[in-house]
Amino acid sequence: MLKKGLVFLFAGLITMAQTIDRTKPPETPPIPSYKMPPAHETKLDNGLRVVLVEDPRFPLVTARLSFQAGSKFDPKDLPGLSETTAALLTQGTKTRSFREIAEELATIGASLNGNSSPDVLTIAGSVLAENTPKFLDLLADVALNPSFPEDEVQLRKQNRKQALLAQRSQSSFLAREKFDEVVFGDHPYSHLGPSMEAIDRMDQAAIRNFRDVHVIPNHAVLILLGRLPTRPEILKMVSDRFGSWQQKPVPQPPAARFPESKRQLVLVDRPGSVQADIHIGRLSATRTDPGYYPLLVGNAILGGGANSRLFNDVREKRGFAYDAHSELDRRKDTGVAAAVTQVRNEVVEPALEAVFSNLVEMGKTPVTAVELSDAKNYISGVFVMSLETQAGVADQIDLVKTMGLPNDYLEAFTQHVRSVEPDQIQAAVKKYFAPDQATIVVVGDASKIQKPLEKFGSVTVEKAK
Amino acid sequence: MRYLITILILFCAVLQAAQPVIPIEKFSLKNGLRVVMSRDNAVPVVTVYLMFDVGSRAEEKGRTGFAHLFEHMMFEGSTNAPKGTHFKLVQANGGTLNGSTHPDYTNYFEVLPSNKLAVALWLESDRMRSLAITAENLANQKEAVKQERRLSFDNRPYSTAIVDVWPQLAFENWQSSHSLIGSFEDLNAATLKDVESFFKTYYAPNNAVLVIVGDIKVPEAKKLVETYFGDIPSQRKPKPADLTEPEQPKPRSQVYHDQHARVPGVVIGYRGPLRHSPDYYAIGMLDVLLTGGPSSRFQLDLVKGKQSVIQYQAELGWPFASISDYKNPGDYAMFLLYKPNFTSKQIVDQAQEEIAKIQNDGVDIMELERARTLLRSERITSLQSSFQRASLLAGYEVLDGNPEYVNTELERFLTVTSEQIQAAAKKYLTPERRSVLDILPGPAPQAPSPKESK
Repeated sequence: MLKKGLVFLFAGLITMAQTIDRTKPPETPPIPSYKMPPAHETKLDNGLRVVLVEDPRFPLVTARLSFQAGSKFDPKDLPGLSETTAALLTQGTKTRSFREIAEELATIGASLNGNSSPDVLTIAGSVLAENTPKFLDLLADVALNPSFPEDEVQLRKQNRKQALLAQRSQSSFLAREKFDEVVFGDHPYSHLGPSMEAIDRMDQAAIRNFRDVHVIPNHAVLILLGRLPTRPEILKMVSDRFGSWQQKPVPQPPAARFPESKRQLVLVDRPGSVQADIHIGRLSATRTDPGYYPLLVGNAILGGGANSRLFNDVREKRGFAYDAHSELDRRKDTGVAAAVTQVRNEVVEPALEAVFSNLVEMGKTPVTAVELSDAKNYISGVFVMSLETQAGVADQIDLVKTMGLPNDYLEAFTQHVRSVEPDQIQAAVKKYFAPDQATIVVVGDASKIQKPLEKFGSVTVEKAK
Repeated sequence: MRYLITILILFCAVLQAAQPVIPIEKFSLKNGLRVVMSRDNAVPVVTVYLMFDVGSRAEEKGRTGFAHLFEHMMFEGSTNAPKGTHFKLVQANGGTLNGSTHPDYTNYFEVLPSNKLAVALWLESDRMRSLAITAENLANQKEAVKQERRLSFDNRPYSTAIVDVWPQLAFENWQSSHSLIGSFEDLNAATLKDVESFFKTYYAPNNAVLVIVGDIKVPEAKKLVETYFGDIPSQRKPKPADLTEPEQPKPRSQVYHDQHARVPGVVIGYRGPLRHSPDYYAIGMLDVLLTGGPSSRFQLDLVKGKQSVIQYQAELGWPFASISDYKNPGDYAMFLLYKPNFTSKQIVDQAQEEIAKIQNDGVDIMELERARTLLRSERITSLQSSFQRASLLAGYEVLDGNPEYVNTELERFLTVTSEQIQAAAKKYLTPERRSVLDILPGPAPQAPSPKESK
């Protein structure tokens, strides 16, 4: 009996072994399609858009309450005001202290945080599904009735200054900060965070005012996703809590005027740096520009991950860097395309040359069929992966609603990616990754790397902030 | 009796609802490869996660950084999947991948659209069977690791202090106290023979766990695993490193001057309890009380009340492991950034005072209930992604031989009492058992400061 079992097992293994050829990767079917869970959208009388998505996989509910109130709305003399307002929303309301908010959140297994990006201010959170009504009480309270207590404002200012110091001790942050400043010029997109002086100037009145003008229902969207109560129940809960919120005039966003892209070279001196942080890039497409999808696929081929040209050339072949990639910063009114790497001081010159030659080459010759299909698969696969968690799905929907994307954006995304042609990529890369129009920002030890950098143009040297 | 049963049943019902149950199928191949599978067809994604029972603590003297160097070698190609194939193939099939080295294990993973499962298994089995260990690849990866060290450690604030200095202060046993990323000197000294023998010993199927989580059909996945991994020969099981740590006779402290830091920081650590002992769960809950979420004591008393601390992190197993994946001994350690108008001593005293309050008074039921709810909510949130589930399952299998912990551990934490927390705090988190590393911004005054006491 035992013997028979063993023979059977053995035979089974042999059969299977014969069916595979180890020398080649296995054949697999194309990436499966995936349909997003359906979204139900409605609007309250005060203009608040409400999006409900039933996703019963886990006993949680995830929320995003987003306003057109990101850092581009910061007054010129108060960079960081949006971020500060966002952070302080959860630090006290007319009826709850910070401690009460924090303890009530913990009691229901919830989190709630305000944060701000260049375009959007978002209150994000999640809760154990059974406590959804209580959670909505808190969400509505921090959105409608924040009190910005004076002691919390002062504490936030002190701690933000220290956090800014800590950020500026990182070479990568300094590079990013300077790069945004140079690339966006006079547009308010140019500040990555607050300045020390602005933090000093910020006060309760400025924060209240920002909130009064910008944190309003009629250009906001509330997304609730997860194991929701029945449709009528959740709709009633939302209108009970957010229905009384007063409409206000919608503020004008800053004019979308950006500087001409041109070659400029800025070296931020960071004495003692053992390597140089390099950003090379210029303004590029938004998600709604016609050239967007070719740029997206082109960026993946050029420097998106470990299968890309920059990774293979600058890191693997030449051994100049641990990280070499390209990236797209996609804002509502414009975008940025940039190549980024960190190299040791001795190889700054050949590394820059290597990056440039990769940029030029891609603008000159079409990408190969294999590169093209690999990149399309990669983008499509990573997109599906982002939908595993409630937060992932909620962020995708938030993106569509806040960035003014077409309603079928998520459904059509993979199709758009699939339809990109090599000549479109070539044109997009030639335009948006053009070295002669690129801003080059390098953070490093000027005494070691200024000379080699001067071979690429005249260098403006600045002290690290 | 009947009454008792009713209560028990009710109790079970409550606990059952604490978190969604993760289905687990565990089996071993003849060569000793342990396989754990968990099916979830909600989204067409699969995670393939290989964990090897080797980390920096298994290294030999003169070979610091070897486990991590080897991790790099694993991406240098194998017989049928030459250099570059791994990255290329995974991404070309719509997936992401990586690997990482920890004190007690090394992991490699791919997250892919679910019908690409075979691609990941082909890649992982090919390198387990036939890694290309060549002089050229070794030289190349030594350079890559040095570059990584420059980028991730030498050029970043706090990193050198945490990676190189802190373990030396916290542990006496060299196995635990040496640098995970290693020295340039040791990296240079690594030979091809070292790499070959390390591979043979530690990367054998019987020293690994393969976890597959996501949109799979278990019988089909089993067949694929048999096909790809079944004939890789097993090796003699390596002898585990001796991690015995002597009792710490007195407190330790040291000052490190960090030329990249601009904000002062301090690391505070205490030798932690044995994994899965009652005290382990108590320290876990104590950590939630001290540092979990915006209503934690550090947040309310130090960030808000005393306005001294700016940011903090804490963990049993800090900095490279977590409460779910360290081997004994592990430290309960915390890292705090604070305002420059305070001294490190004041910060250490304030943290110790928070601990003392719990040692003296315990914790009231409302606060404990909050901590429980927070922990439960965080656990459910983290279970959403197949990658997170896979890493928990792999850790529990490699370190404990029991992936079922993914379904049962939460309950152990949720049933800890105030008295247990109080007792564990008294036993472990005392000033006498404490190590403190001061990280001061700016270069050292003259020569590097000697250890003040050890």
